[in-house]
Amino acid sequence: MSGLAGLLKAEGASLEAEDDFEQINKLYLERGWGDGLPIIPPTARRVEQMLAYCDRPWDEPVAKIAPRYGEATPLRLAANAVMAGCRPEYFPLVVLAIEAMCEEPFNLYGVQTTTHPCAPLMIVNGPVARELGINSGHNAFGPGTHSNATIGRAIRLALVNIGGATPGLGDMSTFGSPAKYTYCVAENEAASPWQPLHVERGFPAEASTVTVVGAECPHNVNDHESLNAQGILTTIAGTMAITGSNDPCFEAQPVVVFGPEHARTVAADGYTKADAKRFLQEHAQLPLGKFSKENIDRRFRVRFKEKYATAGLDALVPVVQRAEDIIIVVIGGAGKHSAFIPTYGSPRSVTRALKRIDGQLAKSVEEFRRNGIN
Amino acid sequence: MAELRKRGLTTAVICSDPFLKLAKTQARVFGVPDLPLVIIPHPLGGLSIEQVEGRALVAIPQVVDLIRSHAK
Repeated sequence: MSGLAGLLKAEGASLEAEDDFEQINKLYLERGWGDGLPIIPPTARRVEQMLAYCDRPWDEPVAKIAPRYGEATPLRLAANAVMAGCRPEYFPLVVLAIEAMCEEPFNLYGVQTTTHPCAPLMIVNGPVARELGINSGHNAFGPGTHSNATIGRAIRLALVNIGGATPGLGDMSTFGSPAKYTYCVAENEAASPWQPLHVERGFPAEASTVTVVGAECPHNVNDHESLNAQGILTTIAGTMAITGSNDPCFEAQPVVVFGPEHARTVAADGYTKADAKRFLQEHAQLPLGKFSKENIDRRFRVRFKEKYATAGLDALVPVVQRAEDIIIVVIGGAGKHSAFIPTYGSPRSVTRALKRIDGQLAKSVEEFRRNGIN
Repeated sequence: MAELRKRGLTTAVICSDPFLKLAKTQARVFGVPDLPLVIIPHPLGGLSIEQVEGRALVAIPQVVDLIRSHAK
């Protein structure tokens, strides 16, 4: 344990505590180091086991997490992954997701500090999603799967403990969101009639990727009656066309989650993903008059004056400015449901591929494993 | 804003009271712990024009004081 022992000697890198689960949890709660749930104490042994799946230098930051701009070293991320209950083999995805959400276009500062209830949604594609058993089927957004639950939780703990997203201090969300506990899913590529998200974004199918979106919770779209693409898409577009989301006011990239049954119905009518996006963009529009008078007079007519300065109340306001900005993924099991996920609005989603330190795409998390640590 | 402050310009961040802690923390993070904060009452959204003017009246004396103190 020589490498780690040396790093832990740095000021503030570790603390001495009695080996007592309840006492350590009490201490962490008192210091605000967590999400309110019990944590697994990040002992040197457990952190080193986590770092066994890291091929980077343990003390070199992979990113800085806003708003504190705390340095996300593998060592610190590993401590948070241990606290969240991650298995060591999940760790490469935790690192990757943090790197993705710290890219400039994602605007993590905004996502972390805003009064809006957004959280980084993490969508995993490719073989590593299957290797780690990340749920893409029944209840993928819900409880019950170890990797979904703990990878997403590790992200949240890192956002709080390294990034400073402490409620009321660095996280000013008016009322927060259950998605701030954990928000990690995989796409159900096997059940999708379309290209998976990462292939659509230019990555090879054998790549494993993480896509992050500054997102609200999913809003369900129930459609048990429609028999064709137009029907399903009309219901989804109707669910998207709401006045209270951020999306109509930005060049947003909201997510439409197709349940596999809805996706099959739409694809069976010959709709490609691009076709579905075009339909949704054209139909997820609402008349200006649906917004409140003040929103029309003080926002639309002023901020978007080129379009709405003198527009009538029947002028249509699109929820999404460009069809290609709609993110479509297929997730879930049996059932006639899809979901719409509104976003914080301004951040761009970011997709990153899982790569080894030599820059090659990783086919398996085992490629990150360091020898000599058990 | 932090960059302007570092360059010696008269600089302040206007901040409503619930965001005071965040603003102070951010000023420290960006290396300007003495960054002046002009504090106005919350909220900023959903205000009538008269209420917006009221916020301005709270801010103006603080900005004038800031400019005066900077000129000394």
